[in-house]
Amino acid sequence: MSTQTALSILFTHTQPQQGFRLLELPPDLEELLTSKDAPLLELKSPSFALAQAVKDPSAQEYVNLCTPTKTYRIRQVHSSNSIHIIQPSHGEISQEDIKVVEEEAGEGGGLNLPDEAVTAIAKCGSTLELHVPEGGFSAIKFLEKALRLYDPRSGDDDGDMTMGENASEGVLSVTQHRELRDQVCADIPVSAAQCEAGWLELCAFVYGKQEVSCWRPSARMRLNVWKRFVEGALLQGIDLEKQFLVGDLWKSVLDDDSDPPFPRPLLEALVRRLCTEDERPPLSEEIKWASFDKMQCIQWVGEICLAATAPMASSAVGRSDFLRVWKDCLPESWRNDATLSKLPEGSYQSPDPSAMFFVESSQRKQTSKVPATGAAAAKAKTTRNWHELLKNQTRR
Amino acid sequence: MPSINLHPTSSDATRTTSSTVPVAASNPLPQLLQTPSGLAIVELQGTINLPSIEAEEEYYEKYGSPSSKHGASFETPVGKLMFPDYSPLNPDDTKWMKRAYLYVGRYQRMTGEVKKLPRPIAVLQKRASAAHSEELEVVEIVRYKVFFKNRPEPVNDI
Repeated sequence: MSTQTALSILFTHTQPQQGFRLLELPPDLEELLTSKDAPLLELKSPSFALAQAVKDPSAQEYVNLCTPTKTYRIRQVHSSNSIHIIQPSHGEISQEDIKVVEEEAGEGGGLNLPDEAVTAIAKCGSTLELHVPEGGFSAIKFLEKALRLYDPRSGDDDGDMTMGENASEGVLSVTQHRELRDQVCADIPVSAAQCEAGWLELCAFVYGKQEVSCWRPSARMRLNVWKRFVEGALLQGIDLEKQFLVGDLWKSVLDDDSDPPFPRPLLEALVRRLCTEDERPPLSEEIKWASFDKMQCIQWVGEICLAATAPMASSAVGRSDFLRVWKDCLPESWRNDATLSKLPEGSYQSPDPSAMFFVESSQRKQTSKVPATGAAAAKAKTTRNWHELLKNQTRR
Repeated sequence: MPSINLHPTSSDATRTTSSTVPVAASNPLPQLLQTPSGLAIVELQGTINLPSIEAEEEYYEKYGSPSSKHGASFETPVGKLMFPDYSPLNPDDTKWMKRAYLYVGRYQRMTGEVKKLPRPIAVLQKRASAAHSEELEVVEIVRYKVFFKNRPEPVNDI
């Protein structure tokens, strides 16, 4: 009896089949895609050169899915099951073929066939899964390779990059800046927001006279610019903790009659990095006003100072020497706040109790990751996923 | 490698390239499985064996193709999909989800169920309008699947 009332649908197979991909959606991505103004997503992989320069330990080749703000690594998971995509049928099936499914017409004359049909239009052997590795994604290690190092005294070809007489030649419009930045970010396999965060963190800037480039200032260069800020602000009576005009700060660092000591875009990049977050305009807009947060500046100056003076273990400096250099870089009233505890966690290591040297932020993450990967391995052991279990067994 | 755009929505309503059917209007599936585009997912253990395309073509060359009248696309009947406990009068009752049958031919039946996907699945397809560059689009987001995890069993004709 039940079969008579049951919902019965003819199931057919359409030839030729279509190509589809199945993408498993994490909750946040589902929310984004079902929102009213769902943004354009991007599948990004690094350029060949960047993939060579920035090795990913987990995969040689990879594609990341990027929303405007987030990045996911795509993993193709094969299934031994067949996954068919079906849709309501076109309804044009030869009566000859239908005998496969149903016996020929009974006494009543009509076939005992369901009126309606669905048809399989594609078969997928795999699903794309998304995941975010521990520590997330960052553009910094890519930007460090993609941007030219700005350190005028270190390289000969960089020597002519300081502004010449026609200072206006090096000034580019906001749109030009964005275009050049977008070019760099197109090859970096993380979201636009993460690219911008990395760009900001590195104080990257766009500048050039004949040949326009994207630059990242060296630690020494950043420290020099900061020192000019402090000097200029003192001379012109600018209180860095209160809102000031960026144009005024620029005027204060210019010596009378001589060339600017560094390009204005570099000054703006630093101001942007150091200004309080709620005042920071998006990278696409010019920064006109700013005020600095004292504690943030002290920490940043300390880190840059150490990076400039003791970038590696072989060039470690004495702690008291470093503290003195650090304090000398700060405005007079801030000096007493410079203590080692203010430095970010893991930003330095000590070969002996009296000395210290700088640890790159990428290195820091790796050292803190060691226990985390151990935890991941432990997790894999308790998982019921037999792929993971077998993988671990074969390794032993 | 340049980035590939993935559009959050389909470029047009008649997206599935070969489909010209107003899909949503006549969807025979239980309402729970219906999607705006009409796409749904059926997962089964093993594969459905069909005549190879070459064999079909050969056959149609000899005996005339039923598909020649309406373009290159044609359908081959496989069997029947059944939801024995489903009643359209009572769509809120979800007990029917526990049982689904897929008849392959007349004498083989697979038993399965309708499952809510732990994570919804986006169905992606190449955007037809973008001939010059590769662009993808999300055609549909599917939240349920009809899942046949058991092997087929022999049955009498129904």
